[in-house]
Amino acid sequence: MSKSVEEMQALRFRVFAFFLDWASWGYIAYGIMYLLNSYWYTNIHYYGRLSVPTWGWPIVILGTLELAAISHAFGHSIGLSMFGLRLVTDSFTPPSLGKRWQRYLAWHVAVLSFPVAIWFSTQKSRLLHDRLTGTRMVLVKQYKDEIPILPPRAWYKTNRGEMSVVLIGVTLWVGALVTQIDLHTMISRVSTSSYLWKELLSPHFTHFITPDPALQQSIVSGMIETIFMALLATAVGAAFALPLSFLGARNIMGFSPLGWVVFTVVRGVFNVVRSIQPLLWGTVFAVWVGFGMFAGVMALGFHTVAALGKLYSEQVEGIDPGPLEAIAATGARRWQVVLYGVVPQVIPSFLAFTLYRWDINVRMATVIALVGGGGLGRIMFYYQSRVGLLPDAWNQVGAVIMTIIVVVWVLDYISGRVREKII
Amino acid sequence: MADQLVVEHLTKIYERGDILALDDISFSVVKGEFLVVIGLSGSGKSTLLRCINRLIEPTQGKVYFDGVDVTAASGGELRRLRRKMGMIYQQFNLVKRSSVLTNVLAGRLGYVNPWMSAVHRFPREDIEMGLKNLERVGISDQAYTRADNLSGGQQQRVGIARALMQEPELLMADEPVSALDPATSHSVMKYLEQMNQEDGVTVITSLHFLSLARRYGTRILALKDGKIVFEGLPSEIDEARFKEIYGEEAEHVEVR
Amino acid sequence: MKDRYYAGFMTQRPAFFTEFSKGLSRIRRRFLVVLTDLFALMYLWTLASYCVNDFFYHVRNFTSLPWWVMLIVAVEVAAFWEAFGVSIGMRLLGLRLRPIEEHRLGQHVVRYILWHISPLFLFRLLWKSDAVPWHESVSGLKTVRASEIAMTPRPWYTRSWSVAAVLIMLLSLGAAMLITKVDFYALSTGAPKMMPLWRGLVSPNWALLGEGVRLLIVTVFMALMATIFAVIIAVPLSFFAARNLMHGVVGQAVYIIVRTIADIMRSLNVIIWAIVFIVWVRAGAFSGMLALFVQATANLIKLYSERLESIDPGPPEAIRATGGNRLQVVIFGVIPQIVNPYLSFTLYQWDINVRMSTIIGLVGGGGIGQLLFQYMRIWDYRSAGMMLLLITIIVWAIDYMSSRLRARLN
Ligand SMILES: Nc1ncnc2c1ncn2[C@@H]1O[C@H](COP(=O)(O)OP(=O)(O)O)[C@@H](O)[C@H]1O
Ligand SMILES: [Mg+2]
Repeated sequence: MSKSVEEMQALRFRVFAFFLDWASWGYIAYGIMYLLNSYWYTNIHYYGRLSVPTWGWPIVILGTLELAAISHAFGHSIGLSMFGLRLVTDSFTPPSLGKRWQRYLAWHVAVLSFPVAIWFSTQKSRLLHDRLTGTRMVLVKQYKDEIPILPPRAWYKTNRGEMSVVLIGVTLWVGALVTQIDLHTMISRVSTSSYLWKELLSPHFTHFITPDPALQQSIVSGMIETIFMALLATAVGAAFALPLSFLGARNIMGFSPLGWVVFTVVRGVFNVVRSIQPLLWGTVFAVWVGFGMFAGVMALGFHTVAALGKLYSEQVEGIDPGPLEAIAATGARRWQVVLYGVVPQVIPSFLAFTLYRWDINVRMATVIALVGGGGLGRIMFYYQSRVGLLPDAWNQVGAVIMTIIVVVWVLDYISGRVREKII
Repeated sequence: MADQLVVEHLTKIYERGDILALDDISFSVVKGEFLVVIGLSGSGKSTLLRCINRLIEPTQGKVYFDGVDVTAASGGELRRLRRKMGMIYQQFNLVKRSSVLTNVLAGRLGYVNPWMSAVHRFPREDIEMGLKNLERVGISDQAYTRADNLSGGQQQRVGIARALMQEPELLMADEPVSALDPATSHSVMKYLEQMNQEDGVTVITSLHFLSLARRYGTRILALKDGKIVFEGLPSEIDEARFKEIYGEEAEHVEVR
Repeated sequence: MKDRYYAGFMTQRPAFFTEFSKGLSRIRRRFLVVLTDLFALMYLWTLASYCVNDFFYHVRNFTSLPWWVMLIVAVEVAAFWEAFGVSIGMRLLGLRLRPIEEHRLGQHVVRYILWHISPLFLFRLLWKSDAVPWHESVSGLKTVRASEIAMTPRPWYTRSWSVAAVLIMLLSLGAAMLITKVDFYALSTGAPKMMPLWRGLVSPNWALLGEGVRLLIVTVFMALMATIFAVIIAVPLSFFAARNLMHGVVGQAVYIIVRTIADIMRSLNVIIWAIVFIVWVRAGAFSGMLALFVQATANLIKLYSERLESIDPGPPEAIRATGGNRLQVVIFGVIPQIVNPYLSFTLYQWDINVRMSTIIGLVGGGGIGQLLFQYMRIWDYRSAGMMLLLITIIVWAIDYMSSRLRARLN
């Protein structure tokens, strides 16, 4: 690699490191603010929120910027050590404390005059505050020979370690407040809520086979509905994901511009669709096809297309390219290469992923009833909504839950065994 | 005799890493020859072979096969040229999960009706031909087993049978024996020799060991850093030439 | 089977024990054949009667006859299948009937009749594992493993077995379409109803950005805290759930208990757990976090322990060879191998938790989901669109980050 490329890399990493530092200081500042708000602020508007008064924003932004600049200019920060950067003088010795102060002050000048300084400088990649103080920020791996090897320090003495402790501490504290962890309630309500466990664990299977007249459905029929919802969703999803996955595979689409566009679009759509849960899709499809099991199936199927599509295309990308080359060299067409070279290699893992997905879909189908109705979920939520009206509502819920556990466990076991066989 | 394959000023630069893999290579091959390409690993042997049937696009230069410009061929024309050039690989490149017969039949893909091949149907003659070729390389009893159940030597013979299905006029082998042990190496090389002598197929093979090259080759081409450093008869390689090709520290290693 | 690392030493089992277990496995295989057949038959029958009921009587009902009648008929049909060697269970478990070449109808009938009595004498297999069951020895038609017979492959579509499998699949899909009330009419005509929703998604309500981000932070923290607590619980427990590390009666018992509890916790969706926890600690982010925590713990125990079961047996063996005790073997031989996979699984779990925490609000588990479903319910699609946008962005970002980090860890 040429010298200028190396220097550009170091510069890029410095920028990354700086923003990482800024982000982590910002995170700490927000955490502290949250704690302050939570414990001392009396104004209801700010209580327990990650908010500051409007006039506070400049202070927060500039303050964290300064903190990042200090840690960066002094050469001690989590970003610098993450990216393997080290502050040294021109003769590769650690700079003195005075030099570091100078760097911090000069940094402001350098930032303000950054474009001008770079433009007029002959040393294009050397920043002003580096030049003024005679120090440089180097990537350790590029100057292995010049930089003296320091004995490793204990983790709590490195800036990475210290910063990590602070970050984790702030995270846990804020996290406990944000998620309203309240052990007191939890313990004090053990006795008041223990009836729930008792009733859940003594299920009433009265409507296991004979339908509940109010609901007009038995647990067995709900079970069958759930399994078939998942089956249909998986089958339809797999059928659509199969052809799409080849379009979403880097090695199949090649490096032509059109191929790149198709690849990016397909993968992008997969990712967006995948990131929205089936339950959310359920609300969307309930608008489209009306509230009911079909909406649930559509939601599950839609999500399955994306999830399986991604898994499939990763499999296609991971195949052994040798046979493809060999088949192409016999004078075969492109799609023949796919059919004879790619498909046999990926079929077992495709099947395994599909089975696995069916498993997941069964689990999902038990709750898709919240937006789509049908299946075990419908029965469970029905009884749950009758708590207080029916004397044995929780016992009925318990029966449904037991059924779910058994069904999921059996299907899990079967699909696990089959997957073991085919892979 | 007319040259079957002519390579003119072939140059290949890999864009990733800016590597000059082939540097202005020119040579020609007469029909029926057994040309051996030798050189250290990284000298560009695989690149050269793959440029001939354009599995890799050459950066510059021309390749003529039977007078047809391979480098200018496109689409269907390239496929027709490729099916006349069989290829055998170091790592066998079989589809591991397909049966041996399916792997062998894949060699016919350039010939058969594409619609029939889409549903995995091959003409009866092709299946018979596949079984015959498997018999020829001595593994007809394994026709229906999965390819990954075979040993390395057997897999390479499946590779040869696949190349035979193309009824090739030129057979290229990229280090066909370097993943095999010495005894199996010779049996595989014998099949190549047999094809060369009985069917009159031109063979270009890259080899790692000079002893194998001496034993089987009618002509030798030595590459070093992407350049031709020697071209001539096997007997012409003496100690000095050997040092030049393989470097000063190299020692002779014999494969018996 | 893959090489497994065993922390203890394999011991020779007594001869009568191997005999016993061999016989037991033969009995089990026969039992499984019958069970599979029964299952397949009941399955087909239920589906068929559902379709018939739906078409001819316009009722959606799975049953046609009393269940005990169905069961008796199914048992008889299964016996019939097995006597003639066309049973689905035999195929699935790799068994065939032999000799089939010079068989006579009488032999099959004898086999069929004796099949009903023979189970009573099956226990003989327990102490004499090469004994032949009665209905086989008398009829002269034996059940053998498919691997013992030479067969030439035929294309799949000429084999009755694969054709039957395809037919069952098609029947299942057809029944699934009936059961789930697939409605192509609604599918094709309902699209215009999506317009308001679509418009809402395209022009989200930006006024809700601040509130959305605040809830988003809650959501991410819920996932994060659940993951952290889950790791704390799952790391030690995973060692108890790894088959290769647990030995002896106590060890096996602990293994089974931990695995079973983890499986049960895993099989219930987060939403169901949330419902339970809401009764306990009331609605809010805490209950959502607890639900996520339960699920994450179970998931991580499974992932971790499976990883433990597939470690390279070399290093622990080397430590043991130098005279290390059980604990040292684990610390120096096992843990270095699993640090990176554990980290990568944890990241993955965090990713899953973030996804899940976006919907847990639906039942009152806190987070951004609560607001989203609220707006969906009152058809305020512009506000719902804002939430959906935020969810997509955060889930996508965390998915991307965690997959990048995991790629680096591997
Ligand atoms: N796909 C590729 N991308 C970049 N460089 C490559 C690629 N394939 C081979 N090279 C480089 O080209 C040179 C020649 O490689 P190759 O033809 O494989 O040599 P040989 O087969 O003689 O071992 C080597 O330096 C190798 O690193
Ligand atoms: Mg090579």
